[in-house]
Amino acid sequence: MSNTAAIEIRGISKRFGNHVALDNVHLDIRPGELVALLGPSGSGKTSLLRIIAGLEAPDSGQIMFGMEDASRRHAGEREVGFVFQHYALFRHMTVFENVAFGLRVVPRARRLPRTAIADRVTKLLELVQLGWLADRYPSQLSGGQRQRVALARALAIEPKVLLLDEPFAALDAKVRKELRRWLRALHEEVKLTSVFVTHDQDEALELADRVVVMSAGKVEQIGAPGDVYTAPASAFVHEFLGDTNRLACHIAAGRVLLADGGVLGRVEAPDGEAIAYVRPHELDILPAKDGSAFIRHASTFGPLVRLVVGFGTANLDVAMPVERWVRLGIAVGDRLNLAARYGAVFSDPAAPAAQLLPEVPGTMFAASICQQGGTQRN
Amino acid sequence: MTARGRDGALARRMLIGLAVVVAGIVLGMPLAIVLVEAFARGPAAYLAALADQDTLDAIRLTVLVALCSVTVTTVFGVAAAWCIARFDFRGRSLLLTVIDLPFSVSPVIAGLVQVLLFGRRGWLGPFLETYDIRIVFALPGIVLATVFVTLPFVARELIPLMQEQGAEEEEAALSLGASGWQTFWRVTLPNIRFALLTGVLLANARAMGEFGAVSVVSGHIRGATNTMPLQVEILFNDYQIEAAFAVASVLALLALVTLGLKLALERHQSGTHANEERPT
Amino acid sequence: MAHATSPAAFGRPRRVIPGLGLSFTITTGTLAVLVLLPLAAMVAMSLSKGVPAFVAALADRRVLAAFRVTIVSALAAAIISAIFGLLLAWVLTRYRFPGRRFIDAAVDLPFALPTAVAGIALTALYAPNGWIGALLVPLGISVAFTPLGIGVALVFVGLPFVVRAVQPILEDLPADEEEAARLLGATRMQIFLRVIMPACAPALVTGFTMAFARGLGEYGSVIFIAGNKPMLSEIVPLLIVIQLDQYNYTGAAAIGTAMLLVSFAMLMVINRLQAWAAAR
Repeated sequence: MSNTAAIEIRGISKRFGNHVALDNVHLDIRPGELVALLGPSGSGKTSLLRIIAGLEAPDSGQIMFGMEDASRRHAGEREVGFVFQHYALFRHMTVFENVAFGLRVVPRARRLPRTAIADRVTKLLELVQLGWLADRYPSQLSGGQRQRVALARALAIEPKVLLLDEPFAALDAKVRKELRRWLRALHEEVKLTSVFVTHDQDEALELADRVVVMSAGKVEQIGAPGDVYTAPASAFVHEFLGDTNRLACHIAAGRVLLADGGVLGRVEAPDGEAIAYVRPHELDILPAKDGSAFIRHASTFGPLVRLVVGFGTANLDVAMPVERWVRLGIAVGDRLNLAARYGAVFSDPAAPAAQLLPEVPGTMFAASICQQGGTQRN
Repeated sequence: MTARGRDGALARRMLIGLAVVVAGIVLGMPLAIVLVEAFARGPAAYLAALADQDTLDAIRLTVLVALCSVTVTTVFGVAAAWCIARFDFRGRSLLLTVIDLPFSVSPVIAGLVQVLLFGRRGWLGPFLETYDIRIVFALPGIVLATVFVTLPFVARELIPLMQEQGAEEEEAALSLGASGWQTFWRVTLPNIRFALLTGVLLANARAMGEFGAVSVVSGHIRGATNTMPLQVEILFNDYQIEAAFAVASVLALLALVTLGLKLALERHQSGTHANEERPT
Repeated sequence: MAHATSPAAFGRPRRVIPGLGLSFTITTGTLAVLVLLPLAAMVAMSLSKGVPAFVAALADRRVLAAFRVTIVSALAAAIISAIFGLLLAWVLTRYRFPGRRFIDAAVDLPFALPTAVAGIALTALYAPNGWIGALLVPLGISVAFTPLGIGVALVFVGLPFVVRAVQPILEDLPADEEEAARLLGATRMQIFLRVIMPACAPALVTGFTMAFARGLGEYGSVIFIAGNKPMLSEIVPLLIVIQLDQYNYTGAAAIGTAMLLVSFAMLMVINRLQAWAAAR
């Protein structure tokens, strides 16, 4: 494995006082891939990024760049480009000077001639489409422009690895989406091994070749965006990626039973207590005058209708296409029954889920209350 | 503003009037009398008082003392701000308190300790006498006492600013391959230059105007160890009132210039700040 | 694989930002050599003839009188500074009037004006033939060369501490609290006592304490106007100078040590007050 990895993280641990930021983290990053470190705040993802960059020293473990141990190399010698969350542009330098900085601080013997530096900076500014802003100061730029200057500055030193800390967090929603696409295209173009940190699942799933889901200083799962979403390795990953409904249940003879004895579906798992997750779009509603649930709230969001369905004391999220909602012809307050088309059942929250299947396709939910049910939204 | 407008015009006018009177008596009149007394016998007498050889010597010594002590204060202030604002270590808040210590010690004590250490009957007195080194009643003692009282000035200006700015720009520079000194000269220093200048100005004003600490260590040797504030005292006690105020007026001018520059620097600083905080 | 055997913990850079060692050494070294060691030497010398001699040096009638004069006038001046300071801070933050910025800038004058200049200026103002002194003679009040003069000088020195402590608090005080109180029918006086005073009380107390602490150690602005009559208008710092002139190093050190202890106590009070204010 270490023959092909661009960055190999071996057993990195880091504490800040009593807080364990990273706990024996192992991770391989392949050449040319774009990896997302995804997790809630405090999961250790930024610490890991800073340790890769050499901005933070781990308590134990090694960082390998190719075959070389980079652990002892100073941040400036690691040939990494780092894009800070708030960009950290040099406020008293122009855009041009910011981008040129990494080239100008090289010892005289190895430094490029002045004109070559100017050429390189001009090319980079064209790459990030900011050539016309070269003489501006960071305070005169918009957030998206600052972000791109930060990127150009990081690329100027021709790094082997590009590291980005929450690259889009400080931008507003529209700019964020544009920049995300643009960054993906840029990555296709330069094919630089890149790692970015994010707490935004959409960002990670859309942008990355592989997603590393982290929680409480540990890697929960590593995989392609599709895989981590459809085959989460733990209950945490399932809950963290996408909206979902959480239902406490127990398994008896292959049937998933809710607290009151109602049947949720079938599963191939041993008997015992478990947690079932059903995503909003995996829930079907079937109008029925004596149904066990009722519609609390409905809102249309583009092509989708999002419902909050009262089910006993719990609220469940349901999503469906507008067409289907119109066809059903129901309204807030109407009673209905629920059925799960799919779902994930975790007998052990730290292990992969068993597939929840309908007992008979289209089977109704239990008729009454699901006391421990709750809603999870991300 | 509208609610405050209801304060009652009368009460408001009275308060403003009272404040103006207080400011006039407490702050304005001392400054005014310095200028009036200095020019009491006309500009020619004023210039003659300043051209006195002892006074010129005092001015020269004052500039020299300020140059030496402000240099120490500046290097100290930058080092203190760097280690307080960029690192977290045990005893950091204690260090912060000790940095402020000279502010809360009487300037006379700042002079006293030099005499106790380096005076003829001080701890190191016999040793210094053997090697014929003069510290007290000479330039080194005056500088040491002045450094004591001005030590916190630059650090006080830099620490809050550097804490607010954070270390990200320095981290960025280092990860781009800059050395520690390159980072300091090219990134840190430009970012703190206005605060540094403010601190240097204030330290300089205090160094040139320091009286208590210097008075104790100087020995009041005319033409040799007299700084301008001491010269003011000597002239005043000699009943050369106009001359005393003439020298005092130079020091007052220094204070006014210092305040003016400080104001301008602060305005400049908040100006650049407002720029940076523009919505993105 | 060769790299697998390399000791991971060896020579690893612990912190990315360099210069902790250098800056820490400069900071603590300077403080130790120029501030802490001299102060320690003073304490050591004050005790060099034993504790009884230390106590005897302080128990002297003239010394005790000087402490009484110093503490009483510093306290009185701090109270007056607090009242005037609150007034100025209030007017400067609440009202817009011609000359406001000028007065705002002038508040810093005592920080920048050399104390000797302030001393002779105040003496000239309050002397029986001075601008203010002449007005007070018919009233039977003499300021210059009496303890009252000490108070006048210390108000000049202490005023900016109060204004600059209270001003930011008044500026940040949200207007809606006052407006709400007004809508609830509170009178202006009630609003001032119940809404505004509680909000700025911690800052006022901090400013008062800083003015008081400064007053205890003040020398230059006081000695010209005080008249320096033993037992009556002689301040503690002057006594240190007198002891030194008589080569009574131990006595001077004892008085200096006592002042240092008072300063430490004040420093702790200020720190407590600031912690208290921050917690509110």
